[in-house]
Amino acid sequence: MGLSEHIVMRELDVPEINDFEVYCRHGGWEAYRMALKEKNPADIVAMVKESGLRGRGGAGFPTGVKWGFLPKGVYPRYLLCNCDESEPGTFNNHQIIDRNPHQLIEGVALSAYAIECHTAYIYMRGEFAAAAITLERAIAAAYRAGFLGRNILGTGFDLDIYVHRGAGAYICGEETALMESLEGKIGQPRLKPPFPAVAGLYGKPTIINNVETLANVPRIVEKGVAWYRSHGTEKSPGTKCFSLSGHVNRPGNYELPFGVPLRELIESPEYGGGMRGGRPTKIIIPGGASAPWLTHEHLDVPLDYESVAAAGSMLGSGAVIVLDDTVKAPHVAYKMDEFFKHESCGKCTPCREGTHWLVRVLHRIAEEGHAVPEDIPTLHSIYNQMAGNCFCLLGESAVMPIKSALALFPEEFEAIVAASRRHPHGNGHGDGRHEPVIPLTTKR
Amino acid sequence: MLLETHRAEIETILSRYDSRRSAVLPLLYLAQDIYGHLTEAAIREVAAILDLPPTDVFEVVGFYTLFYNRPVGTWVLQVCDDVPCCYLGAEELIAALKQSLGIAEEQTTGDGMFTLQRVKCLAACDRAPVLQANLDYVYDVTPERVNALLANLRARAAEARQRGVSGRFAEDFEWGPDGALVPIDRAAPYRPRHFPAAPSPAPPEPEPVPEADAGHDRPADRKASPL
Ligand SMILES: Cc1cc2nc3c(=O)[nH]c(=O)nc-3n(C[C@H](O)[C@H](O)[C@H](O)COP(=O)(O)O)c2cc1C
Ligand code: SF4
Ligand code: FES
Repeated sequence: MGLSEHIVMRELDVPEINDFEVYCRHGGWEAYRMALKEKNPADIVAMVKESGLRGRGGAGFPTGVKWGFLPKGVYPRYLLCNCDESEPGTFNNHQIIDRNPHQLIEGVALSAYAIECHTAYIYMRGEFAAAAITLERAIAAAYRAGFLGRNILGTGFDLDIYVHRGAGAYICGEETALMESLEGKIGQPRLKPPFPAVAGLYGKPTIINNVETLANVPRIVEKGVAWYRSHGTEKSPGTKCFSLSGHVNRPGNYELPFGVPLRELIESPEYGGGMRGGRPTKIIIPGGASAPWLTHEHLDVPLDYESVAAAGSMLGSGAVIVLDDTVKAPHVAYKMDEFFKHESCGKCTPCREGTHWLVRVLHRIAEEGHAVPEDIPTLHSIYNQMAGNCFCLLGESAVMPIKSALALFPEEFEAIVAASRRHPHGNGHGDGRHEPVIPLTTKR
Repeated sequence: MLLETHRAEIETILSRYDSRRSAVLPLLYLAQDIYGHLTEAAIREVAAILDLPPTDVFEVVGFYTLFYNRPVGTWVLQVCDDVPCCYLGAEELIAALKQSLGIAEEQTTGDGMFTLQRVKCLAACDRAPVLQANLDYVYDVTPERVNALLANLRARAAEARQRGVSGRFAEDFEWGPDGALVPIDRAAPYRPRHFPAAPSPAPPEPEPVPEADAGHDRPADRKASPL
């Protein structure tokens, strides 16, 4: 089910596409030129809406619908391109910038025209320092060619695009935290509503989209809605750049139409190339650290938003982490929740305290091999108190690894408890140290 | 001082935003590179340029992990220990670095050359184990490559001091066919990555479920892995 022509990862068809001239020779900036001269902004919004393009940043929200939420007649507006990309397992945004940067910039420019905005920021995580330089160079080329700046192509349209580097904080990928960060504050999420389309950056109407989402826009405008919809499924049209990592032979980004089975991504010699050493798959995390886990039983699940949700997980950012049977479920849960603890912004108690306690108990179980029988109900109790009570989705996501591990591999936790009990010291605290067990509360 | 020495750069940064405060992250990066780390005076200076109460800037410095309010080495090594890297050699890499450098995490070598840190996912999971040296990516850092890496970084110490730790002049690195560390040419055409035709060497057998307390007589500094 490979692609005859890539939509986003076009360097696979044209290796020199990172060169501005080559990009232009392959249709680059044509869609933008045509849009500015022949189309109204509303036409572009309608096209994107009809294409069914869905946001690639995690939620899969229809992009054209989001653009339609902007209040009529309120200016200035801002466009933000989200390249914070910090969720474990996700790594396609900066590779798009490294290999096909001009298409992203054309996408940002076209989208800015569509939503009638004159200033766009590309917010990159601070670690993408070299990619930020690549992007600045590509933006400079677009200015030189007259695609950005004042009175573009004589149409009266003005647009500036700037690169803004964050400074190390996963939470700044959350849209309202990103706006706080761009305003020069610490990255703590805002209460919604109001949604960014109504009151975003500097309190002005703001649209925020992921890098991969915006990189799709030029091809939709250039080649049309029908062509775009000929890829993927009815409800998840187009392609997805899946970031495949873990114990596969060929980790990397693979652009495939939505709806390919998980098995094909992992096993095809063109993509994942199977598991290292032919070992069995144990844990499959199909959408970044926030996604509930799947197992080998789910290898035939088609990779589109609906099918992965029906299997009990989420496609999220399309970061597929595959782990083999050399890993232990409690340890994977420990490492993943350590990530969420590290990245919790501290604004709300369930997330700040909940991730702390999860990691504290899991560290003892997974790294030290000590567990007392109460640990298992304690872990259930902690995540149950977090679920539904966190201020933003980071805290809600932190529930997934531990909940999945306990649901899918309870015997691994019980084995550690049993082994600790058989120990001569008896109580699971072989060194005489007493880890406090937090009081249980009733489940909600 | 910054305003005197870097006025043009600061003006350019300020011109990008509709609010001066938005320039706080880029100005802190600049100050960090000029002063080596963010001293109290440097933070107050940034606050003064932006007309902000100093506490607002102290708060920002405390929140973001790429700002250092204490002295750091010429090279800050940030090794990803997240999932999946931690199952693909990151722990072995960190152990090798600690041994070669004779320091623990969050410490700086006595000669001021290296600071070692663990960090969360660097968005390069396909090139595990991976680290950043002053925000330059170095891909595929297997433990055997540690000595070559450290020698390369030591040889480029003067360059590192000039560029600073904030990545304003970053470039990424990978290993050439002869085993040398080479900068990635960002203008070069895309080359598909080469994977060995033969399947990778068989991984270790999974550890059996513990029969007795696995943690009992393990030395305090040894972490059980992966359980
Ligand atoms: C904790 C958290 C982190 C996020 N990180 C990112 C990110 O790194 N990149 C991204 O595009 N979206 C991220 N998102 C989703 C954004 O909030 C937002 O939905 C997205 O950028 C919208 O773009 P899209 O509609 O194109 O998907 C994150 C959300 C949460 C809750
Ligand atoms: S859920 Fe976590 S990250 Fe989100 S606001 Fe609360 S503390 Fe911050
Ligand atoms: S887990 Fe190490 S780069 Fe993603």
